[in-house]
Amino acid sequence: MLETVKLSKTFKNIKAVDEIDLYLNRGESVGLLGPNGAGKSTTISMISSLMKPTSGDVLLNGKSTIKDPSEIRKVLGVVPQEIALYEELSAYENLKFFGEVYSVDKKRLEERIQYTLEMVGLKERQKGLIKTFSGGMKRRVNIAAALLHEPEILILDEPTVGIDPQSRNHILETVKRLNEEQGTTVLYTSHYMEEVEQLCDRVYIVDHGKLVASGTINELLSILSSEDTIQIQLSQTTDSLIEKVSAIDHVLRVDETKEGIRVISKKGSNLLSQIVQIAESEDLQIVHFEVEVPSLEDVFLHLTGKTLRD
Amino acid sequence: MKAVMKAQWMKEKRKPYLILLFIGLSILATIIFGDTSEFEEQTVPIFSNEANAEEIESKWSELLNEEDSSMKFVITDEEQARADVSEGRRNAAVQLMEDDYQLIVASDLPYVLQIEQLVQQVFTKEAWIQAATGGESVADARDEINQLMEDPPVQVETRTTSGDEFQDYNMGMQLLFGFSLFIVMFTIGFKVNGINNDKVNGIWDRLILSPVSKSGMYAGHLLYSFLVGIFQLTAVFLIFRYLMGYDFENMWMILTLAAVFTLSMVSVAMLIAGMTKTPEKFYMIYPSVIPIIPIISGVYMPPGTLTNPIITFIGDLFPLSHAVEAMMGVALFDYGWTDLTLPIALMLLIGVICMGIGINMVERGKN
Ligand SMILES: Nc1ncnc2c1ncn2[C@@H]1O[C@H](COP(=O)(O)OP(=O)(O)O)[C@@H](O)[C@H]1O
Ligand SMILES: [Mg+2]
Repeated sequence: MLETVKLSKTFKNIKAVDEIDLYLNRGESVGLLGPNGAGKSTTISMISSLMKPTSGDVLLNGKSTIKDPSEIRKVLGVVPQEIALYEELSAYENLKFFGEVYSVDKKRLEERIQYTLEMVGLKERQKGLIKTFSGGMKRRVNIAAALLHEPEILILDEPTVGIDPQSRNHILETVKRLNEEQGTTVLYTSHYMEEVEQLCDRVYIVDHGKLVASGTINELLSILSSEDTIQIQLSQTTDSLIEKVSAIDHVLRVDETKEGIRVISKKGSNLLSQIVQIAESEDLQIVHFEVEVPSLEDVFLHLTGKTLRD
Repeated sequence: MKAVMKAQWMKEKRKPYLILLFIGLSILATIIFGDTSEFEEQTVPIFSNEANAEEIESKWSELLNEEDSSMKFVITDEEQARADVSEGRRNAAVQLMEDDYQLIVASDLPYVLQIEQLVQQVFTKEAWIQAATGGESVADARDEINQLMEDPPVQVETRTTSGDEFQDYNMGMQLLFGFSLFIVMFTIGFKVNGINNDKVNGIWDRLILSPVSKSGMYAGHLLYSFLVGIFQLTAVFLIFRYLMGYDFENMWMILTLAAVFTLSMVSVAMLIAGMTKTPEKFYMIYPSVIPIIPIISGVYMPPGTLTNPIITFIGDLFPLSHAVEAMMGVALFDYGWTDLTLPIALMLLIGVICMGIGINMVERGKN
């Protein structure tokens, strides 16, 4: 129902978003994954009509939303990355305000406020002022505020950054329930792989404003099906060791880690004996050796050469 | 728009201290700096150093005080009287002789002219009476003349050089208006800054995505700022009028001017909000710009004191000077609505221009 076509945004000389194509089908839960500065928030701003793209288009049911954003605004609920609430008002008062702004019918609004507060687990604290809330509680109210008008599409911009595990679980649970029970279409932005793996049917991975991969989680993981990731813990790491390991047949790349090295190689190439030999010749001890089950994190690493949290 | 206003009001309800403080401050400043008893009833020291000083003093004191109730002639000792004048506590003193007087003044204030006229009038009248009666039955003749003067055949009206009716200028009243309008500028500014606040913390974006129109968003904030401003001014003026006995002549005209001023000032604040973009910068810039306005608008000085044309021109770019001038006109010079057309038009013009530029600048901040 929602689609972007070569969506691009250039700030002065930074290409924040570079020809991104993505789509959301009705009822889907889609992840937008990428490290800080990848262009996720900028993409969301353009999709939600808060920012005009430099080029490209956003289509809702095949119609461009750039000229006339009224349609998309009606079906959209956006949870901004930063908390957008009145600190001096209570949770209840904030929700009442945003509900009124959306012209939700008075009686219905009362129901919706209680329903959304219950959903994010803050029904008991509704009289509390936002400024007295923890970061996690604020984020939960921030989400509730985007749900009052029962949006068909919910866009969340990194809703779990820097919060306590309890709040995080509440948020993940809320999004899951909305998607599964209410059929809300979800676009979930994050730089946490686990969350996306847990919540989303499909994932888009972006880096430096560009789409680097997309597909279902299984499809993405299968990118790695032809590779093994081997973590080797060493007493010490030397340049010549890395050089020699890189030179082994079938080794695709070697990265230095905190405790040793990480080797990515073609699947099934038995490297153990060769690596042990090299370590001995370098006078280093192998402390631990492990072949990893690939995760989205590894997919990302494979595609971009860096970890998500860099 | 209603929801936006309501949210601002909910915040206010929880913290109404700022407005209450500002209302108190307006009144306090007027009481401290605009002590008006000195201006409302002039005290003029009189003394004599003739041989029969006491007799002369009591005779003239009675006659002078009979003549005009807005001036009080008080018998004082000479040294004290001279000191009062030279140190500026009194505008003038009168040295009395049997049939003559001498005015002791330190400056050429309009008040001095007024005192001189009164004293001269009394002495001339006495001289005539003396001449007419040849010194006999003076008291009877005086009564007769006083009766005649109640309904005089010829009336003399004093006018200033510009042709206006001469009026005792009331500096206390000017300070009252000046301070009240000055302080409400802060209230208005801090409310208008709510727009910057909403923009920075993301509430503005939420509103943009909602069915509320852009104009509704601005109108909500600006109308709220206006209402708070006019509430403060009305409260302050009502307290002055009904609790402290200041006479504004026409309260409705004063309140109309207050409303136009508030409207205009909301726009000026909007312009500064547009230039500063963030609430923090606004808090830095606004309170440092505002105190300059009453100074360059000449609010702290008697009219005509500020003569530098560049400064008065800059002062006239803000609504304050127009509002104070118009309010003084209503309170002291019986201005009618036609006299208020120009200041009201100027304030509205300032308002329209500042609002246009201000909103434009806020909107241009995007992208
Ligand atoms: N308003 C802006 N002006 C200039 N540069 C911006 C602006 N917003 C974002 N950027 C830049 O665009 C890039 C992408 O930012 P953003 O979309 O916020 O990334 P993400 O949300 O993935 O962390 C970053 O390099 C950021 O510095
Ligand atoms: Mg972001």
